[in-house]
Amino acid sequence: MILLEVTSPGNVSLVLFFGTIGMLALTIGLIVFIIFHQRKVIRYQLKLQRMEQDQQKLLLNASIRLQEEERQRIAADLHDDAGPLLATARLYLNENLVNLDKTTQLQSIYNAKQIIDDTIQLIRNISHSLMPPTLKNFGLESAVNDLFQKISGSGSMNASSRFHDYRERLQAENELIIFRVIQELVNNILKHSNASFIHLTQNTSGDKFFIRLHHDGRGITQNDFNKLNKSNVGLGLKNIQSRLKVLHGKIFFEKDMSQTYYKVTIELIKEEEDKLIEQD
Amino acid sequence: MLQLSALISEVLPIIFYLIFLKRNRGEGLWVIFLYCVLSLLTEPFYHMVKANIPQYFVYSSFTILEFTLFSFFFYSSLTERRFKYIPVIGAVLFYVVAISNFTKKSENPFDSLPASVEAILVISYCILLLYEQIRDPAIGLVYNNKKFWVIIAFFLYFSATLFLFIYTGALSEEQRSSYWPINNFFEMLKNILFCISFIMKKHYKNPYAVDSLES
Repeated sequence: MILLEVTSPGNVSLVLFFGTIGMLALTIGLIVFIIFHQRKVIRYQLKLQRMEQDQQKLLLNASIRLQEEERQRIAADLHDDAGPLLATARLYLNENLVNLDKTTQLQSIYNAKQIIDDTIQLIRNISHSLMPPTLKNFGLESAVNDLFQKISGSGSMNASSRFHDYRERLQAENELIIFRVIQELVNNILKHSNASFIHLTQNTSGDKFFIRLHHDGRGITQNDFNKLNKSNVGLGLKNIQSRLKVLHGKIFFEKDMSQTYYKVTIELIKEEEDKLIEQD
Repeated sequence: MLQLSALISEVLPIIFYLIFLKRNRGEGLWVIFLYCVLSLLTEPFYHMVKANIPQYFVYSSFTILEFTLFSFFFYSSLTERRFKYIPVIGAVLFYVVAISNFTKKSENPFDSLPASVEAILVISYCILLLYEQIRDPAIGLVYNNKKFWVIIAFFLYFSATLFLFIYTGALSEEQRSSYWPINNFFEMLKNILFCISFIMKKHYKNPYAVDSLES
């Protein structure tokens, strides 16, 4: 052995002593390092877990608040619009019972019928806003086209949509989630951006499903979105995020390269869609 | 006195393994139990056969068997496929050295060269296994794992005795007996750490596992 040959007989004891001490010091040092390093990693894991839990709590609260707001809106619509209309119809019919004059009776019945027609239309609108039948019967493309046509029809802005590759429909629950996300984004654009046009495109690329929304108003970037998500405001955006989480999707907010319009991209993995379909 | 204590300490892991047999089932620690039994029986065996077989052959055989058990333990403990080749290659290297040394018929009762090679290889395996353990998120705190204490036992023992094994051939009888307590002391420590491993409860799952972080 080279070590033995190199060491002179007198120094063997010295080398043995210091060698043993050195090896022990290295071993103990390594063990201590491993233990402390591991504890550091676990502390970091705990911190990440806490942050994730806080974020989930925030999303859940946002979801609950949005649900309550929706319920309040429906209650208000029914109470303020449908309620008085039906009460008025009832008054006309009551008058009918009292007044025996045939012309007056016919007029009352006719008025009551008009009011009931209006009430039916109102309730139909409330119902459609809760769950658009076009989405259920004809799919996401038709429902989005419908929505955009209504926006264009109102005259407030120019809205258009184009689906490039939507031969096969997604599962109903997933279509509803995507539709809600698009609805929420469009509502935000209508409320906050002052845009004059909004254009939606859909396409697929490999195993990914994309929906892109362009508008020329005031928008937000990805940084703004992340900040709003972490704060207590931005209820709608939190709702969007929690809905996309169900589909394992992503959303990107950016300003276009030409700096003339804002773009929102929703990305979903088609395989995840298929997996969700298989699971169900 | 120290030698006697070291001999007695060899019984402790055997007793604790048998008492806590349920806890140690399925953990791959039966190899360590076998090693402890082998260690305990070598000295009495030598005294039985010393008239017919030289001491050198008994201790060399013990080293070969010991390393075989260690290699098997490390091979079965390593989970990553690419790391499993290392104990195999190490074993081949060791057997070449040990068998060639075995046939040399040295007058020195202690097989210095194979023991040194064994020590270096086992230290390397220990570092490799510790590295694997700290990378595995399912384990959590590494000292909650039974095998950790076995690895520490090997690591400390062979680190402390590496230079002793290398130089023992060059030492006189008097010097050898003055340095051999190092081996006895760390052998006791090794057996105590084995006992800790055998006494520990099974299934210390990581309470901080990152499953919930995956979304």
